Amino acid sequence: MLQKGAAQKVTIFLNEDTRRHFSSLADSILTFLLHKGVAGATATRAMAGFGVHQVMHTASVEALSEHLPIRIEFIDSPQKVEEIMPALYDMVSDGVIEVQETNVVKVANQERPAPKTPHIEMRGAARMMRIYMGESDRWQGQPLYEAMVQRLKMMDIAGATVYRGILGYGVKGHTHGGRLPFSRDLPVMIAVVDTQEKLATAIEAMEAMMQDGLIVLSDVEVIRLVRSRPEAEPTHANG
Amino acid sequence: MRTVKQAKLLRLHFAESDRYQGKPLYEAIVQRCREMQIAGATVFRGLEGFGESAEIHRGHILRHDQPIVVTIVDTPENVARLIPEVEQMMDTGMIVASDVECVRIENPPADGK
Repeated sequence: MLQKGAAQKVTIFLNEDTRRHFSSLADSILTFLLHKGVAGATATRAMAGFGVHQVMHTASVEALSEHLPIRIEFIDSPQKVEEIMPALYDMVSDGVIEVQETNVVKVANQERPAPKTPHIEMRGAARMMRIYMGESDRWQGQPLYEAMVQRLKMMDIAGATVYRGILGYGVKGHTHGGRLPFSRDLPVMIAVVDTQEKLATAIEAMEAMMQDGLIVLSDVEVIRLVRSRPEAEPTHANG
Repeated sequence: MRTVKQAKLLRLHFAESDRYQGKPLYEAIVQRCREMQIAGATVFRGLEGFGESAEIHRGHILRHDQPIVVTIVDTPENVARLIPEVEQMMDTGMIVASDVECVRIENPPADGK
């Protein structure tokens, strides 16, 4: 199963009519990848192209259209790529194999529900971050608190809660809220709890998004945090 | 620009119906903080809660008596100066102080506003 983080992307360039054991090479490679349990592979037929033979293959001239380029791509962990590379190397009798370092940002699997895995527990010393801002603060057109929670979620931070205050003043020097019943610039505070290391990266990211404001950090003790995690995501010690 | 320093976080817990000299206590406290040039104060309203009177504070269509928390972050000296002031303003309630690290953010606006 593909996991978030560092991975390798393999691209294979072939000709459509290259054959191996009486079937097309592209088909054999896809079957081989499926059999080896690679996370996923895609074969695409190109519009046109040329390769090592210096012959233009194009769909617009019928005589040349049987010779179109095919591109097979798949992404998997470096270990997996290393494991199957010798066999692939052997199979590609005519073409190019290319490997790139890549970064998997998200693996979502909608069709099958994530298998129940043991719950992740977090306990003991942790850090709490409180971020103070105004409700009308924006980041790229979106409310800042919303953008921050999205970013924190993407960073796999254990949790964040947004509070809206009813009155306050601070960095900006003006009063938020007050007598007007429908003020749209009320104070907003986001509370985030996670381990020291993970919060350190979160602070950097939050800081870059804020124009002015206040971040307050304190040491806390997590009494209990239990949650289940889909298998697709990496498990790191202490959540 | 970024400045990190040790600070105190002060939290005052009381009820929305508490009053001081005829006006809501939370408003009076925020005003007092301003007068004393405290860096900032924020008032939050809780959904439901109870305190030492064991009376449940809960929202009601006609009557607002939800829990209120005022949070204040400032230097230990300023907080020490503020505590006796709010203590004499609050009738029942709770004052909690904790040590925090405070990061003040002042980034120049990205769009040059």
